[in-house]
Amino acid sequence: MEGTTQLSNLVYLLPLLAIIFIVAAGVLMLNLHFQKNLFHQKLMQEEIISNHQKELLRSSIQVQEDERKRIAVDLHDELGAVLSIARMHLVALEQQTRIPEECIGSLKDIRELTETSISSIRRISHELMPQNLQMFGLLETLQHIVSTANNSNGINIRLNCDDKLESLPWSVSLGLYRICLELINNTIKHAQAKHINISIRLDGRQLTLFYVDDGIGITEKELKNGLGQKNIQARAISIGATVNMGNNETGGFYAMLKLPDITII
Amino acid sequence: MKIYVLLSHIPVLVSILYAAFSFHKLGRHIRIFCSFLLLSGLVQLVSLVLWFKQVNNLPLLHFYVPLGLACLTFFYHSILKSIINRYILWGLLCLFMLFSIINTLFIQPINTYNSYALTVESILIVIYSLSSFIFMLNSIPGGVNAKAIKSLNWINSGLFIYYTSSLLIFYFGSILAVHSAPAIARYAWAMHAFFSVTMYVFFTIGLWKEQHN
Repeated sequence: MEGTTQLSNLVYLLPLLAIIFIVAAGVLMLNLHFQKNLFHQKLMQEEIISNHQKELLRSSIQVQEDERKRIAVDLHDELGAVLSIARMHLVALEQQTRIPEECIGSLKDIRELTETSISSIRRISHELMPQNLQMFGLLETLQHIVSTANNSNGINIRLNCDDKLESLPWSVSLGLYRICLELINNTIKHAQAKHINISIRLDGRQLTLFYVDDGIGITEKELKNGLGQKNIQARAISIGATVNMGNNETGGFYAMLKLPDITII
Repeated sequence: MKIYVLLSHIPVLVSILYAAFSFHKLGRHIRIFCSFLLLSGLVQLVSLVLWFKQVNNLPLLHFYVPLGLACLTFFYHSILKSIINRYILWGLLCLFMLFSIINTLFIQPINTYNSYALTVESILIVIYSLSSFIFMLNSIPGGVNAKAIKSLNWINSGLFIYYTSSLLIFYFGSILAVHSAPAIARYAWAMHAFFSVTMYVFFTIGLWKEQHN
């Protein structure tokens, strides 16, 4: 009797199998749909986190620049002014006839030390906040740096820039200036290079900076962990640019910075 | 008939050959899964040869079922180890092995269709695959990148759809062979072949996705 019931149940087996297959396929479709939604949500979350990190980096660099500017102004206007007055008094003292003979040499030494301090303060404050950049713009500042480096370091730098660079926003000019300075310093300090080529091109709203030297290149470790490289990356991110660095076919170092969407003033 | 049987083995062959040629490029989880593919390929090949020689190939199934579950337990353990205690998975496998041996020795002899073991195996695999779906919807398994999830998902989907759809065929397998009308049995096994082909197509897509993500 039981066997007969099982046999009659077998008639329903085939449609049941088809139904189970369709249900299973439905479960898979639903799962696929959920997976897709989740994937999009995760992508969006990652994008939000990445944007937030970029924003944090941008504001931290902005704070750093503001602080540099404040220190530069304080050094130049306050400490520099005080030392200039001190120097003026020392010059006046030196010119007095009643000064004992044994003090004249010491007075001269103090005056020279004061003058050295004044020039150091001027140099430091200019390095902290490049006045040339504020007054003359990126192009002339870079040309000035290049001519100074060409005269003193036994290195030849060729600068090839677009005239439209003067119309860049201040944050971009400052970022590019700092990046160029870091790259040149790295080459002079570590690369044993004889030549550097810097090219900055503005094509529509896209800016491209290409830097290459003929030195000994950079190791993988330095590229990943070097403080200078991290600074360059951070600066690039803060202005919305991407930067690729490495060694070219001849073994020298290269850096390619791309700023895809720039607002020209 | 012979041509249909041969045709149904093509996707099996394709997925196994693809796995063999791309084995060195596959991730850890998929490599573990390849052990199941290799086993099932070997069993299918031997059973095909025996079928052509008109020799009973059912004894193979008594070895294939526990060994297949062992391979798949390794695979699911690699995915689910962070949510399911490994002793549960290994404990279930040991219990199943014991049941399978008892079933072969005392309930369904080696020359007959081991429907009970197959049914239990299917239920366990459906539970594992559903757990994996839920787990992969909530988080990414350790040591797997987000993109590799796609290929694991395809393989898991193949296992799910095959074992869910074939569960009733496995359960009624021995009755179908003996008591049912030949037409019903033929249609049922044709549907089983279709589910099997679907599973191996899913495996091939999963392996392809693993390399092209």
